[in-house]
Amino acid sequence: MSDNNNRNRTVYKSALLAGLWRENPTFRLLIGMCPPLAVTTAVKPALTMGLSVIFVLVCSNFVISLMRKLLKPHLRIIMFTLTIAAFVTVCDLFLKAYAPDMSEILGAYVPLIIVNCLIIFRAEACASKSGIIISILDAVGMGGGFTLALCILAGIREILATGKFFGYQLMPQAFVPWLAMQMPIGAFVTLGLLLGLVNTLTRKKKI
Amino acid sequence: MPKIKYFMQESWLLIVSSFCFGLLIAVTDAALSERIEQNKTDKLNNLTKALLSQAVTFQPLDEEFQVVVEAAKKQTTKVYKAVSETGQCVGWSFNASGKGFADKIELVVAVDKDFQKLAGFNVLISSETPGFGDRIKSSYYRAQFVGAPADRLKLLKTGNPADIDSDIIAITGATVSSQAVVDIMNNFLTQIREQMQQKGLLGNVGQ
Repeated sequence: MSDNNNRNRTVYKSALLAGLWRENPTFRLLIGMCPPLAVTTAVKPALTMGLSVIFVLVCSNFVISLMRKLLKPHLRIIMFTLTIAAFVTVCDLFLKAYAPDMSEILGAYVPLIIVNCLIIFRAEACASKSGIIISILDAVGMGGGFTLALCILAGIREILATGKFFGYQLMPQAFVPWLAMQMPIGAFVTLGLLLGLVNTLTRKKKI
Repeated sequence: MPKIKYFMQESWLLIVSSFCFGLLIAVTDAALSERIEQNKTDKLNNLTKALLSQAVTFQPLDEEFQVVVEAAKKQTTKVYKAVSETGQCVGWSFNASGKGFADKIELVVAVDKDFQKLAGFNVLISSETPGFGDRIKSSYYRAQFVGAPADRLKLLKTGNPADIDSDIIAITGATVSSQAVVDIMNNFLTQIREQMQQKGLLGNVGQ
């Protein structure tokens, strides 16, 4: 009995932690790359985007896990898209009502969560095959990892491009902002360097 | 008949969940739409109040104004009458939009009560390049419009931005965005004034 419990706990833990580092969607799996490049000019919009993705991911994983035994193989993708689209629309409405500033900055990128392949990938790879608890933990882990990656990228770009972090002045007055960091090239360069760093850190040592 | 039965067997989940998700979105929308509308009007009012400091309320006029933008496309816009605390008309404001460098630029423009002088403009929606075209929101550029004649404006590359006249000095590195704002102004100012004169709205105020 306790053996079973222990095994369960390990499974839950790995479902939750996988997305944060080992299978981080942005740094390790390189999926859902549109938001990391598009909405990381400042930390606030990046965090909003991350939280929206967590919300959509948790809801869609939960619903798909509930209906996993009813899914017909050839209709599953359309079911996933339908579920995701519904929750993204709800999320978009909430943002418009309670965070109009953020909704404006994020613009089309919130509705675009529908086609974020991270969410459909988790629906296919995890939620349609596993139980509810595992699916939710997986969604939180993956969403968390995604949010973390967005915030790291956005933090670096915001500090270098404006000298501020989360809207607060961080760099001394003499700091000359790097305007390029605010433009797409800043996103590509920062992401490339971070990927290189992560790869160096996780490279297996040669024997 | 068997075909319909087969169709239902395969797709009942899709149909049922479509209805459920539709209902979910409808409920959310019903609950939040009022707040979303309120946010929009609040934002417009705040931005217009910043231009016409004496105004307390903004009453939309019943008349519709058709403005011809590029390539004979017509746009309908609403004109608001800015009313001061004592109930006097202190100016007019309207939304104006046109093509920018990246995407559509939407402005709120305010003029004095005789439609002679500009009270300035504020940017409602724009996705101009950060650090360059984005500076149409800067006070350096916007201040040039405050007090300028509400007539044809001209964009110059050099000159003294402190001179308040129909010459607007472009933002360095963002000539296209600067020109876009001037074009929008020219389009809307002349056409709306003409229509207001035709409708006898300006004559009344003058007397």
